[in-house]
Amino acid sequence: MTDEQIDETWATLEPTFDQRRRIDARVFSWLEARDTTLVAEWLGLFRLHPLPALGLVSVSACAVAATPPVLWVVLALV
Amino acid sequence: MIVAVAVAARVPAPPLAALFAALSSRLGGAADPLPDDAIASLVAQARAGDGGARQALYEQFVDRVFRTVRGLLRSDADAEDVTQDAMLTVLTSLHTYRHRPDARFAAWVTAIALNTVRRRFRRRRPELTATGDLPDVPADATDPVEALDRARQRRALLIALAELPQRDREIVSLRYGADLNASDIAAAVGIGAANVRKILERTRARLGDRLDALLHPDGGTA
Repeated sequence: MTDEQIDETWATLEPTFDQRRRIDARVFSWLEARDTTLVAEWLGLFRLHPLPALGLVSVSACAVAATPPVLWVVLALV
Repeated sequence: MIVAVAVAARVPAPPLAALFAALSSRLGGAADPLPDDAIASLVAQARAGDGGARQALYEQFVDRVFRTVRGLLRSDADAEDVTQDAMLTVLTSLHTYRHRPDARFAAWVTAIALNTVRRRFRRRRPELTATGDLPDVPADATDPVEALDRARQRRALLIALAELPQRDREIVSLRYGADLNASDIAAAVGIGAANVRKILERTRARLGDRLDALLHPDGGTA
C-alpha cells in the first residue's frame, strides 16, 4: 500500500456531519458563554424569562437582607 | 474557503464572507489548508480579539484534530470529547503560543491534542480494542455503496491501528492525521527525528500490509 493510499484511507476518520455539528455547537456555546459578561447574562435572562428572573432577584435580595440578623441571633444563642 | 482566503490576503473579512464561514461551519465543511504565514497572521488577529479569525483558525484545525485523535481513542464519542477539549484549549491559550520558524502552529495544536488524549488515558485507561464500536456510515453520504466502502476502510484502519504499540500509533497518527513532518513529530513525542523516520518507515509497511489483508482477504490488491 502506498503513502497516498494510506492518506486516502486515513481520510475516512474525518468526523461525520453530525459529529462535526455537535463539536461546533459545544465549542462555540462554551466560547460564547466565556465571552458574555455577567450583566449581559442577567439582561438575557430578564428578556427570555422576565417573571422567573424577577423571582430569582427577589429571593436573592431577601436572602442577602435576612442573613445578617439571623446570623446575629444564632451567634447570640450559641 | 472564502473567509480563509480573505484573511490570508490580510484583508478584513466582509460580512458576506463571515456568513459563508458560519454556513460552512453549520454544514461541517472542511477548510482549505492555509500556509504557515497566513496561519500566523490569523493567530495574531485572533489574539487581538477578532472573532472571525478565531473562527477561521477553528475551521482550519478541527477536522485535523479529530482524525488525529480518533485512531488513539476507543470510540467516536471519546474523539468528539477530546477534539472539543483540545480546540477549546487552543482557542483560549493563543496568547501562550510563541511563533518561531521551527515551531509551527499546526505542531502546537497537535501537541495540545496529544496531551488531551494522554490526560484522558490517565483518567480512565480505556482498553483500546479494534471493535470498541462499529464505524458509522455517514448520514450525509450521497452514494450508499461509496459510504459502505468508506465505512469498511475506516473499520479496517481502526483495527490495524489498535494492533500497533501506543508510541507507534501516536507517531503514525501525527504523520497521517495531523500531516506533520518528522521534526514536528519528534518534538511532540519527545524522541529524535531520525528515530521517528525509522519508526514511520516500519509502521507504514506494517499498517499497509495489515490494511491490504483486511480489505482484500482473497489476496487481491488495492
